[in-house]
Amino acid sequence: MSFEQLHTTAISRRLAQVADGEGDLADVYFERRERVELPPADEALGLRVWQEQGLAVRLVRGGHSWLASRDSIDASSFQQAVRQVARALPAASYPGFRLEVEPPRAPVEAGEVQRFPAAVQRLLKERLVGFPLRLTVRRHRRWLRVVGTELAGEPQSERFYSCQARMPWGRHGVVLRRLDPACAAEMVDGLVELFRARDAPPPPPGRHTVVLSPQAAAVLLHEAVAHALETDTLALGGRPEAAVGVRIGPEHLAVLDDPAALPEPIRRTCDDEGMPVVRRWLVRAGTVEQPLADRYAASTSASLIPGAGRRGGRHQPPVPRSTHLEGVAGEAAEGGLMAAGEGGLYAPLAERGALDPLRGDFSLQLPVTRRIRDGRPQEYLGPARLEGRVAELLGAVAVVGDKPRFAGAGWCAKGGQRMAVWATVPELLLEGVRLG
Amino acid sequence: MSFGDLGAETLAALAARGSECAEVFLKRGRTRRFETGPQGELSLLSEERGWAVRAGGARSSFFAAGSGEPSPGGPWPSSDGQGLRLPEPGPPANWRPPADLDAPLVGEREAFALLRELARRVAEAVPGGRLVHGVLEDGSSESEVANSQGVRATVRRRLASLRLEVAAGRPPVGCRLLAAAREARRFDAAGLVERAVRQLEARTRGAPVERDRAELVIAPAVAARLLDGLGPLWVGPGAAARARRLRDRRGRLGSEVLSVVDDGRLPDGLLTAPVDGEGVRSREVLLVEEGAFRQPLVAWWQVAADRVRASGCTRRSSWRELPRPAPTHLYLRAAPAVTASSLLGSVERGYCLVDTLGAGHYDFDADRLAVPVCGYAVRGGRLAEPFTGSWLVGSPGGLLHGVRAVAGDLEFAPLDGLIGAPTLLVSGLELRAGGGELV
Repeated sequence: MSFEQLHTTAISRRLAQVADGEGDLADVYFERRERVELPPADEALGLRVWQEQGLAVRLVRGGHSWLASRDSIDASSFQQAVRQVARALPAASYPGFRLEVEPPRAPVEAGEVQRFPAAVQRLLKERLVGFPLRLTVRRHRRWLRVVGTELAGEPQSERFYSCQARMPWGRHGVVLRRLDPACAAEMVDGLVELFRARDAPPPPPGRHTVVLSPQAAAVLLHEAVAHALETDTLALGGRPEAAVGVRIGPEHLAVLDDPAALPEPIRRTCDDEGMPVVRRWLVRAGTVEQPLADRYAASTSASLIPGAGRRGGRHQPPVPRSTHLEGVAGEAAEGGLMAAGEGGLYAPLAERGALDPLRGDFSLQLPVTRRIRDGRPQEYLGPARLEGRVAELLGAVAVVGDKPRFAGAGWCAKGGQRMAVWATVPELLLEGVRLG
Repeated sequence: MSFGDLGAETLAALAARGSECAEVFLKRGRTRRFETGPQGELSLLSEERGWAVRAGGARSSFFAAGSGEPSPGGPWPSSDGQGLRLPEPGPPANWRPPADLDAPLVGEREAFALLRELARRVAEAVPGGRLVHGVLEDGSSESEVANSQGVRATVRRRLASLRLEVAAGRPPVGCRLLAAAREARRFDAAGLVERAVRQLEARTRGAPVERDRAELVIAPAVAARLLDGLGPLWVGPGAAARARRLRDRRGRLGSEVLSVVDDGRLPDGLLTAPVDGEGVRSREVLLVEEGAFRQPLVAWWQVAADRVRASGCTRRSSWRELPRPAPTHLYLRAAPAVTASSLLGSVERGYCLVDTLGAGHYDFDADRLAVPVCGYAVRGGRLAEPFTGSWLVGSPGGLLHGVRAVAGDLEFAPLDGLIGAPTLLVSGLELRAGGGELV
C-alpha cells in the first residue's frame, strides 16, 4: 500500500483554487491505518483488526485554520472537503479526476504478533521468575501522503509495535520497533524489575542523586525538553521564537530531534504536513537553538523551521511534536556514571511524565528505583516521583553517559493526540533532584 | 445501500462463511469543532463513518473494524479467539427520542462568539486572567446494531462539549473546565466563568491546609470526581465483593442519605438512549439505596457470576471500541428540597472543596483514598480564605459513610460516562498538606 499513484498535479490545482490569498496555505492529508491486536489468551475475539482510511483538507489563512475530514478517499469526498474549507464555491471549476485508493483485499497476517507472548513467557522462565501476566500485543501501520498547492511530500509509511503487560501489582507498557528476541528481552527486563520491586518501600522523599537508564532518560527528555520546546507550548507564554538562545541546561547537555535518523521501518523523510524533516538541534551546549515547529508556527516567524508537524489522525489538526529525540553522548562510561552516583538511586524505568506548560513544573513517575552501592544498582526500592521546574531538572544533569541507546520513549498524548515517540539517549546522572 | 440492508447482507455473508453468531455495528457522525489557542483559531468539520463486526461461535471468534462500510465478502480475520456469545432480542423498547436531536450543529460565527465572550468575561472577572485554550465541539451521530440472534436497534445522539483552560497570576496558575450539553447553544457562559474564577482564586491566593479534620462542603464538580474515582465499586462483577468489604456493622455501604443510580435512559440525559451498544434495552439501576448496596452495574453476559439483574450498560462510543460495561448517567441522588447554601450555612467551621487538582488515588483493598483539592475555609456558614495544594485524605468507606446531607443541585460532568452529584456535606475525612504518598 502506498499513495504513490495519486494524481498530485490535479489535486494541487484544485487546492490552488481555494488558496488564492497572499500567504494562504492549502493541503490535503491522505491516510491509511491498520492496527492488529492480540489480546490476552483468556479474552474473546482473537486477533483483532482495524483498518481505516480517509483524508483531511486544510486551508490556513492569517491566524485561522479550516479543516474538513472524511473517512473515505475518493474524488467526491475530496471535492466536498475542499468546498467546506473554502466556505464558498470557487469561481472556476476544473474537470473531475480519479481519486481512488484500493481497499485492502488480503486477510491480515500477523504471525510475529501471535508468537511474541510465548517468547516473553519463555524469557521470564529463563530468568526464573513467574507471575500472572496478561499481555496485549499490537502492531501499528500507517501510510500517508500530503499534497499541497506547491509541493507534494513523498509518500511515508511506518510500522511498529506496542506491548502492554498487566500484573497484579501494576502495568508495564513499551513501544517497540520490531518483535525480535532483543525486544522481548527489553520487555522482560522491565517486567523483572517491576516484579522484584513490587513490595519494596519507596525511597524517602527529599533530594537525591539519581541515575536514569536510557529508557528513563528518554521519557525525561521527551517531557522536559521536547514538550517544553514545542511552539504551541511556547506560545502560551508569548512569542515562541523568544526561546531561542535561552540557557536551560548545563554546557554538556545537547538534544536533537531527527526523524530521518530513525531505523526502518519507522524512518521518516517528511512530517505529517509533507515538509521535509530536519536534523534539529533543540538544545546545544545547554542553550535553546531551534524549537519544534509546524507550518502554522513557521508561518508566523521567519526564525522557526517547519518539519515537525505531526497528527494523531485525519480528524485532528497538525501540531508541533518531536518524533525521535537524540541525546548527544557524554564521556562517562557506565562504570564512571555509577561511581559518580554511589549512594544514590538508579531508575531503570520511567512513566507518566507531566509538564505544566504555564509554570514549567514537571513530574516524572519512576515505578522502580534501586540503591547504587559498590558501583552498581543493588537493593530494590519502590516507586518515586521526580519533581521540579524544567530548568532546575535540566540544570541537575551533572554527568552524561557515553553510550546512547535506541528505545521507544512511549506514547505521547499531549492535547489528546496519541502518537508514538522514539529516542536514542544515553544514561544521565541528575544531582540533588527532588523526589516526592 | 441503506444502513439496515448493509447490516443484513453482512450478517448473511458471515453466516454463509460458517459463523454461528455475528454482529454488525455501523456508525456515522458529523462533528464541528472550534478552537482558539496557541495554534490560532481552528474550525474543523469532520464526517466519520465506520463499522465493526464480531463473529464466531462457541469455540472461537474474531473482531474486525474499519472506516467507510464493510465489504460483506471480507476479507475477515481467522476466528482464533475464545468463544463469543451475543444478546437475544428483548421486548420492544418504549421510547420517544428527545425532541432536540435535529437542531442544527453550531455555526462558526456563533461558536467563536461564545469563545470570545468567555475570554472577555474571564479577563473582566480575574485580574490578569486569560483564556489560554478553548475548544467547543458539537456533534451528532447515528449508530445501528444488528446481530444474528435478531437484535436490531438504532440510536441517535447529539452532544456538545466545551473545554476551557484559563490562567491568571504570575507565575501563571491554570485551571481546566469541562462541560457538556445537548447542543452548544445551551452552555452557560456566566456559570462557567464563575467556576473558573473560584478555582483560580483558590489556586492563586490559597495556601495549603496543614492538617485538619473538619466538616466539608463538597461542590458538585468535586463530588462527581469522587464518585467517578469510586467506579470499581459500581461497575462489573467484582464490584459487589469490593463493596462488601466497606460495609459497616449494620451491613451498609454508606449513610442513609446516599443513593447511587445509573440510568441509560435518564430523561433529558445527554447520553439517553433506548438500548446500549449491543442493542440491549437500557434502564434505571439502583446501585445503592439509602446506604444499602443493592447491586453493581453488570451487562447481560456478566449476570450468571453475580446473580443480579443486568441492564443495557455496554458502552460503544466509537466503531473502533470493543463493547464494555460502563456507566451512562451514574449519579448520586439529590434531595430537591435542600439547597447548597443551606448546607454551607450549617457549617460553623470547616472547608468547602471547589475543585480537584488531579485524579487522586483510590485503594479499595486497603480502604484508603487521597485526592488533591482546593477550595475555601468556611467560618460561620460563609466562605473565608482560600486554600490549595492540600489532599483530601481518608477512605472510600469513610467518604460514603460520612455523607451527612445532600443538596438538590445535581450536576453532571463528562468523566467515565456522565457522572453526576449534588453538593454534599461530609464529615470524617481530613485535609492534609501532604497525602499523595498515603496510598
